[in-house]
This record gives sequence, structure tokens and C-alpha cells, in this order.
Amino acid sequence: MPILQIRQAIRDAMKEEMERDERVFLMGEEVGYYNGAYKCSEGLLDHFGAKRVIDTPITETGFAGIGIGAAMCGLRPIVEFMTFNFSAVAFDQILNNAAKLRHMTHGQFGVPMVFRGPNAAAHMLGSTHSQAFEHFYAHIPGLKVVAVATPYDAKGLLKTAIRDENPVLFLESELMYSVKGEVPEEEYLIPFGQADIKRPGDHVTVITWGQGVPVALKAAELAAAEDVSCEVIDLRSLRPMDEAAIIASVKKTNRAVIVYHGWPNGGVGGDIIARIQELAFDDLDAPVLRVCYEDLPMPYAENLENLILPSPERALAAIRRVTYKR
Amino acid sequence: MTQSEAAPDAASDSTVDAAYEAKLRADYDGQSREDVLRDYREMLRIRRFEEAAARAYTRGKISGFLHLYIGQEAIAIATQQVMEPGDRVVSTYRTHGFAIALGSDPKACAAELFGKAAGLVGGVGGSMHFFDKERGLWGGYAIVGNHIPVAAGHAFASQYTGDGRVTLCFMGDGAVGIGPVHEGMTMAGIMKLPIVFVVENNQYSMGTPLKRTLPVEDITARAAGYGFASDRFHVTSVQETRRRLGEAVERARKDGKPTLVELITYRFRGHSMSDPAKYRQKEEVERWRLNDPLERTLMALKTIYQVPEAELDAMDETIVAEMDGAYEFADKAPVPAPEARFENVMAEGPYYGDSATTRPAGVE
Amino acid sequence: MATVVTLPRLSDTMEEGVIAKWRIKVGDKVKRGQVIADIETDKATMEFESFDAGTVLKLVAPEGEALPVGAPIAVFGQPGENPDAAGAPAPKAEDKPAPKAEPAPAKAASKPEAKPEATAEVEAAQTAAAESAVPESDDDDEPGPKATSQGTGPQGQADRGRIPASPVARRLAREHDLELGQIQGSGPRGRVVKADVEQAIAKGPQARSAAAASGAAGPVPTASQAAGSPAADVDEHGRPYISRPDRTVKLSQMRKTIAKRMGQAKREIPHIYLTMPIVMDRAVALRAEFNLSVDGTKASLNDLVILAAARALRKHPRVNAYYTDNGIVERGDVHVGVAVALDDGLIVPPVRFADQKTLKQVSIDVRDLGTRAKEKTLKPEELTGSTFTVSNLGMFGIEEFCAIVNPGEAAILAVGAVQDEAVVEDGQIVARKRMRVTLCSDHRVFDGAESAKYLQTLRKLLENPLSLLT
Repeated sequence: MPILQIRQAIRDAMKEEMERDERVFLMGEEVGYYNGAYKCSEGLLDHFGAKRVIDTPITETGFAGIGIGAAMCGLRPIVEFMTFNFSAVAFDQILNNAAKLRHMTHGQFGVPMVFRGPNAAAHMLGSTHSQAFEHFYAHIPGLKVVAVATPYDAKGLLKTAIRDENPVLFLESELMYSVKGEVPEEEYLIPFGQADIKRPGDHVTVITWGQGVPVALKAAELAAAEDVSCEVIDLRSLRPMDEAAIIASVKKTNRAVIVYHGWPNGGVGGDIIARIQELAFDDLDAPVLRVCYEDLPMPYAENLENLILPSPERALAAIRRVTYKR
Repeated sequence: MTQSEAAPDAASDSTVDAAYEAKLRADYDGQSREDVLRDYREMLRIRRFEEAAARAYTRGKISGFLHLYIGQEAIAIATQQVMEPGDRVVSTYRTHGFAIALGSDPKACAAELFGKAAGLVGGVGGSMHFFDKERGLWGGYAIVGNHIPVAAGHAFASQYTGDGRVTLCFMGDGAVGIGPVHEGMTMAGIMKLPIVFVVENNQYSMGTPLKRTLPVEDITARAAGYGFASDRFHVTSVQETRRRLGEAVERARKDGKPTLVELITYRFRGHSMSDPAKYRQKEEVERWRLNDPLERTLMALKTIYQVPEAELDAMDETIVAEMDGAYEFADKAPVPAPEARFENVMAEGPYYGDSATTRPAGVE
Repeated sequence: MATVVTLPRLSDTMEEGVIAKWRIKVGDKVKRGQVIADIETDKATMEFESFDAGTVLKLVAPEGEALPVGAPIAVFGQPGENPDAAGAPAPKAEDKPAPKAEPAPAKAASKPEAKPEATAEVEAAQTAAAESAVPESDDDDEPGPKATSQGTGPQGQADRGRIPASPVARRLAREHDLELGQIQGSGPRGRVVKADVEQAIAKGPQARSAAAASGAAGPVPTASQAAGSPAADVDEHGRPYISRPDRTVKLSQMRKTIAKRMGQAKREIPHIYLTMPIVMDRAVALRAEFNLSVDGTKASLNDLVILAAARALRKHPRVNAYYTDNGIVERGDVHVGVAVALDDGLIVPPVRFADQKTLKQVSIDVRDLGTRAKEKTLKPEELTGSTFTVSNLGMFGIEEFCAIVNPGEAAILAVGAVQDEAVVEDGQIVARKRMRVTLCSDHRVFDGAESAKYLQTLRKLLENPLSLLT
């Protein structure tokens, strides 16, 4: 099986879908002549031409809105944000137009499109460029929110996203674009709402997604050295969420730790805890803990950034706490 | 341009003086009686619909915000007349006029205001969110200015597919300062999209006069920066508005060049029903009334075309009856079923919430 | 036909309004859109433009009076028409149906349209609130209020307060018919966790709940019921005993700490106790001599014991140690904690490097620590770090006792009183001053023999105390 980087898997997914369906086009800053700020669209301009690989000015609201307007006319836009931090500029378009138009028009229009790009903290980019947006978007009915951590998942889920009839927020990671993994040559799709058990285990359920996945896997490895066996669940899609997978695992382990990028207050992590306590209350043996950003803006200085980011060591400490092995 | 200059150059008395009549005759030169009667009837339908809305609001039948189009009717009528099948109107929260002009059923419009299942969008939108795709009404946007990029997206789709359609995107004078307008127009200019941006300058951004919201009061001065053509005029008649909007639509369709049109107009009501409009002088309103395209058309029909008063009254009665009927229908129409709230959230079908923990009782 | 003009609702929140000023009078001909009145709403005074045309037949509403929305304010019609005809309860059936049959004004005045709906909403909200106030019946929990007010049956669990337990532990206990209160919790703050219940299940029936054990014998009487039985309540003369309520004393921080640490120690540490008698005549004499000849302090017998215990630790490093799963840590330094009793509790400040100190220094340290402990002026760092503890209850006449090892240490020396005793020495009964010390130690760290050897060393030092002055 070929070994690809995540960025190549993303490019292949877009390329295959654009070849399959002429309505699909890619739009964003630097996606064309520059071949993508993180080279996710390398070669696509040459292959498809400027009509379908469209460089835009720096107008997130403008091109997000154009994507929405085009999707309402039946096209299948892929809008790339150079980073999801810039999607904040287009937030109104996503919140009030992409998410609501099907509802607001009583089904006269749909918005089948994908917003994609890197999400969450990378390395020493400071507070404005180090934010996790799934927590904002997963709040909104009408949207789907996906976060990927392997080349296999990236390709299968992006193809599904492009074919979906709803607006999909597809979250990648700048630090993980070079992560390699096997990707089958034959076509495959991964449905939304299906978590993937990245590591089976019995003692603690570690729930994670996106950039949290490598942190959780490393923590599980450290815990194994202490004879604690962790089940690492990569949610992959946050809206819809595979609640059944979470609950089944928690019923087995009686303990859960959630590892993710983003702040603790009002985020997806708290939402998962709400679901667990409601659906598996009688199966809990310890409080459910979150390992995420400290509730602080991200500083530039490396030592401070490292203190705030979720780390395998912090995740291990949480795993010890829920197993009462302080 | 100051407020007093913006007001029409008409006599201070409502009687028709010689100068007023001369101008009227010049404006209606070459217009057929049938066309003028049609324009009058269509404008009157909007006005009577809006008056009935105001009345229903005062009786507590309509809630939320209600923004009326009274005074601006000629714009919607002229727009309808320059559109070809498949062309699109994208408008704001003050959009009843476009719905009526484009042929939406007044019953469905009234039912929407009443929050009824038979409403234009099933009662989920209300006054501010009118959509009627079949008739070319593509919204209905209530966040000021956020439809400009979306309208540009429709025009982009026309360019992408080569369907030959034109998008007409309307906004108020109060919208031009907000960010999405700039971004959407920048994109439209760069991409050379088949679109016409129309600013309906009704003099007030809610209660703030435009001299306090616009650094340069000529909004079309911005067109150069986007590479647009531009046009700017007082809306005093349907035919003049039709002619000049028609040029802009043609430019979009044939040359793929966007135009920014500023239409100087006036709303005779407050911003919304709860606005007493104390920020303007009575005299100002009265001056504008003489410029009201509906009033001028009525005057033309009476003085130039010699239409008998009885015929005009009969037409009015018919329209009032139609609109009263629409509101009566809306009043009696059933409210949406409880399950209606699950519809049209997601494409897959009824949506009950993503989690077993947040689903309504009784739903699996 | 006459038309009744009603007070318009001019804002979404307006419920009543005032005609500030009429702009028309009876007999005026009114056009549609003409301003007929200024109306004060909750937000502003607004001009009311008429929706109706006609001649003013009657102005119903006076200026300045608050009226509900929908109340009739005027009647328009044809000149000469009877204004009151419009307000008749049943409008006459005329040539065309009355458009939207206006509500009869009388009715509208007393019961404006908006009101009934608003009332209905309030009622609905109250009903909803009432419903949600009733807790959903959920038999899996032990809700405090329900248990105390209704009683949850024979277990009498309510009397004992809520037992900390994880949800899954609760469920397992319920499923296996175990009483949570009978299960020792190993989690934080004694929380009963799944493993504890599983252990209890494995152990068998002794943890079974009282309810299950008593079976069909009926409800077990509660404590208060037992106290209420006649036999227990009166003296031999039939006079009732004076009953006083129980008093709950709030746990002080110190009490909480003691409870936690002593609980932990008794649960985790397998204690072993060895008692050794020591003849103290020479030590007593030495102390007297010392106090006569050394200025600046007075040494107590306990100071001698502390010093001897510290020196003995140097010889027996295994006693100056603590247990971990990864290995036994023998401490490099000797800091002997001295238990000091306070009003509600005790603290154990250490005499640091006690093995290296002179008797004089030890006695100075102990006095200082004792004084400042009672004044509560010891710094936090002066309260921690002991590697071994000496606890002396001799001044209370206690001969010997067993103490609890402080977590983080391997042993504590419990010191009894020095007493005159008849001792047999070389076949002769002689009077001797004797003291009993008990070494209470963690069996995981060392065994009885090691404990005995330490005590021998200690005895040798105290019975030959001159070496302590070197």
C-alpha cells in the first residue's frame, strides 16, 4: 500500500473528487500559483486550470460568502482557509449563512460545501494563530465538523465531506501535514459519525481527535509502562459525534480522559463529559478529566507555550488520577 | 448633497402647480396608458400589502421586527421588469416589496408574517427572511451586508456554468460601511462577475442620517475602486428606474461588468414598526411625499391620461380586498406542526439533535 | 357601515397606551394614512396613522387615559350613522360579511386580545415549573432529600449521611445487595470505587446489607426508635432520663488532617508493636546533675529519650526509613518528630539532625518547638520533615501504649511513665525507676527482630546515659 503524507492524501482526495465532479472547485488564498500555503493543493492548478483552482485576495468573508452563494446554485465549493484562525473573519458567513440557509429558506436552498484548513496551535505562532475552532463550530446545528489525524482518515473523510449535501468544516493540522501513513490505491470513503479506536485497551478510555491524537497515543504508551491499559478513541467527526463508541468504551473501562486542543470552558470536551455522565453515569468509577489548553491565551515563548499545550505527560497524570494511582 | 437638497424640487403645496405638471408630462412622455396603469397597480399592491402588515402588527398578529417598504415600491417593480427568467434578486430584511413585485403569493407572504405553516418559508423566517427561489427572490438577509458575498457567489456560479443569468444585489445606504460589502465587491470586481449592486439610499441608516454614516455621501464614488461602472439617480418613476437599471443589467449580462447603482429614495415609515421616526422633520417627509413615485403616477394617471377617478378607486378597492383576503387567510391558516422544527436543518431529512442527551423527549 | 378604531400595538412589547392628543374631532373626514392621534407607548410617543377612512362619528377614548391594546378609541363611518351601532355585540348581518368581524368593543375593553394568551403562557410556564420541581423518580441513586423525608426503607442509610462512592461502585453494590457503608473506600477522601466493591463481593456475605440479612424479620428499628423504647428511657423510679441532643463539632483543618493521615496509616501500614522496659535511675540522676550544672536550659527525661532514640537510629538505619512500592527508602538524616498535644489535636514538629545534637541543644529545641506550637507560631517548614517520631504520654501516668506510625515514617516510639518499681536483680528485690517504651513500626519495612535490636540499643543508651553527653 502506498505511504503518503496527510497533505498528499488531502490533495489526492480533492483531485479525485474534482475529476469525478465538474461542479467541485477549490478557492482560497495561495491555493493556485503558490500551490497552497502548506502544499495541500500542489499541482492542482496545473491539472485543472485557473477556472477551478482559484486564488483569492485576502477576503475570508468575501470568498467564504462566494462559496456559499455558489453552493446555493448547485456548485460544490472547497474553500481553503490558510488557517482556521482566519475563519473568524468569515464567522458570520459560516454561522448565519452556511449553517442556516437550508433552514431559513425552508429547504429551497442547500449549502453543499467544504471549508478546510489547518486548525489549532502549531509552534510558536502566538495567541491569534494558535486557536482551535471545532469548539465554536460544533456548537452550531446545520454544520458538520470533522478533524483528521492520519492520511487514511484525511483522504476518506475529505471525499465524504465533498460529497456531503451540508456545509462541512474540515479541520487539519499544520504540524501533522507531514505525518505519513498507508493509503489504499483503490477508492474508499469514510462515513461521518464513526469514531476509530486507534489503540484498544481496558482500563481508561482516552477520547481525542485531530492534533490530540498523537498526544493521547503517546500518553497511552507511557501508561502501559505502568500497567495501565488505555483505549484511545479518535472521534474523527465531532458533529455528528459517535456517542455510541464513547459510551461502549466507558462502560468497559469505567474511566475516561479527554485529550484535545482548545480551551476547557464551553468546549467539545465538556460536551463529551455531559454525554458520558448522562448516558453512562452508573458506569463511572472516577470523575472524567480533560487534558487541553490551560484556560489562557497562547504565548509565543516556547516554554510558556509548552506549559499551556496538552502534553503526553499531562495526559498521563490525568490517566493516573482517574485510576487512583496518583 | 444635504438633506434639504435631497428633497424633491416640488411645490410646497399638494395642489398641482404648473411646474410640477410640466415635469410630470416630461417624465411620462412616450409612456402608454396601459404601462402606467400597470406600474401604478403593481406599486399599489405593495403599498396596500405593507399597510395591511402594519395594521396586523398593531393588532398583535405579527411579532418581531417589521420593516416596511412604503415609499420604495417603484424600485421593486422596475427590478421585476428588467429581469429575465432565472435572474436573481438578493435583498435585505426589507424585502416584502420584492416578493410581491416578483409574483410571490400575498397569502404566502402574509402567512409568513403570521408565522404560519403556509408561509413563504413555512413560518420559520418571518418578515426578515423572505425567500422564493422559483420567482427569483433569493433572500431575505437580515444581517446587514452579509448577503453581498453570497450574491457575488451566485454571480460566480453563473460565470462558472455560463448560464447567462444576472444577479441583482440590493442593500441599504446603512450597509455600505460594513466589511462584507467591501470584500464581496472586491471579489466581484476581480472576478468580473455578472452582477448589479443596488444601494437603496432611503436617507437613513435606521435613525442616523447618511451624512453621519458616509464619509463621502456619493456612494457610487466607491465604484472606481472596485472597477465597477456606476449610476446614481432619484427614483421618481418606474419607467426611469427601469431604463437605468436595465442598462446595468445588460452590462452585467453582455460584458460581465458589475455596476454599482445608487437609488435615492425615501421610506415614509419609521425604520421598523416601533420607530416613531422623530429624527426627521415633518416638512421633510411632506416634501418627499410629493416625490413619491406612487403619488406621482397617480397624478399622471389623473392629469395626463385622464383616467376616471372611479376606475382608480375600483382598482384600489380590488387590491385592498386582495390584501385583506391574504391577511384573513394568514390569520386562519394553521401554525406549523411541532415536527416542523426538525425539518431542513440537515440535508438528510428530519434532524433531532446530534446527541441522545439533547434530543427532544420521545425521539429516538 | 361604521368602523371601530382600536388602540394599535405600536411596538412588540406594548401592552397599553395613552392617547396623548387627538388630532381629529367628531365630524372630521379622515383619509387613510392621516395622523389621527399621538399615542404614548412604552417606548415613545408615536403618531398613529389611520388604517381606515371615513367620518369621525365618535371619539371613545379620552386623552391621557391608559388603555389596553385593542381597546376601541374611535368610531368612523358615514355622516349621520349611529356610532353605537358599530359596537353592538352581534354585528347585523348586512349585504357583505363584516370584514374580520371586529371584536365587540365592550369585550375588547375588558379583555384585550393579547391578555388571554399572555395569561395562558404564564400558566403554562407555572405548570412546567411545577412539573420540573418534582424530581424524576430515579431509583438508582440515594438522593439526600428523598431518603431523609420519605425514608428509603430498612437500610437507614439516611441517618449516616451520604457515603462517597463512584457511580459504578454504587451500581455494583446495589446489584450484589451490598451495603456501601460496610465497604472501605480506597479512593480519594475514602471514596468507594469499583475495586473496593469487587473485593467485597469476593469476600462474601459479611458485607451484605442489614436489610438482606434481616430478611423477612421486618424493618430494623432505627437508633431513635431504640432510644424511644420504654425500658431504656426511665430510671428505677420511673423518671425519664434527661436526653440531650447530639452535637456535631465542625472538623477543624487539623482534625481533618489527623483523620486523613491516621486513617491512611491504619489502612495501609501493617503495624507491629514491641515493648521494652528500661531502668531509668541513672538517666534520672544524670538529668538532675545536668540541670544543676548547665545554664540556659532545663532538660527533661523526654529530651534524653529523644536524644537516645536519635542516636540509636544512626545504628539502625532501617528504622529511620519509609516504605514505597519501588523500594524502602532509608533516610540519610535523622529528624525526630516530637508529638505536641494541643487543644484539639496534635502536631509533630521535628528536632532536626537530632542525632548530631547535644542534650543541651535538644532540650532547647524541644522547649522552643513546644512553646511555639502552643502559640501556633511555627512556620510550615518547621512542622514537616520528621523521619521518626517520639510520643510521650508518661506525664499522664500512662505506663505503655500503642501509637500509629506517621505516614512517611517507619516507626514511632511510644513512651510511658517512669515509675518506681520493685525489680528483681541478681535474686534481690530492689527499687528501680522503670519506664516502658513501645516501638510501633511498619512491618513492611522491618521485622520484629530488627525492632527488638533497636530497642536493645536504646535501652543500652538510656541505662548508660553518660555516652549521651559525648
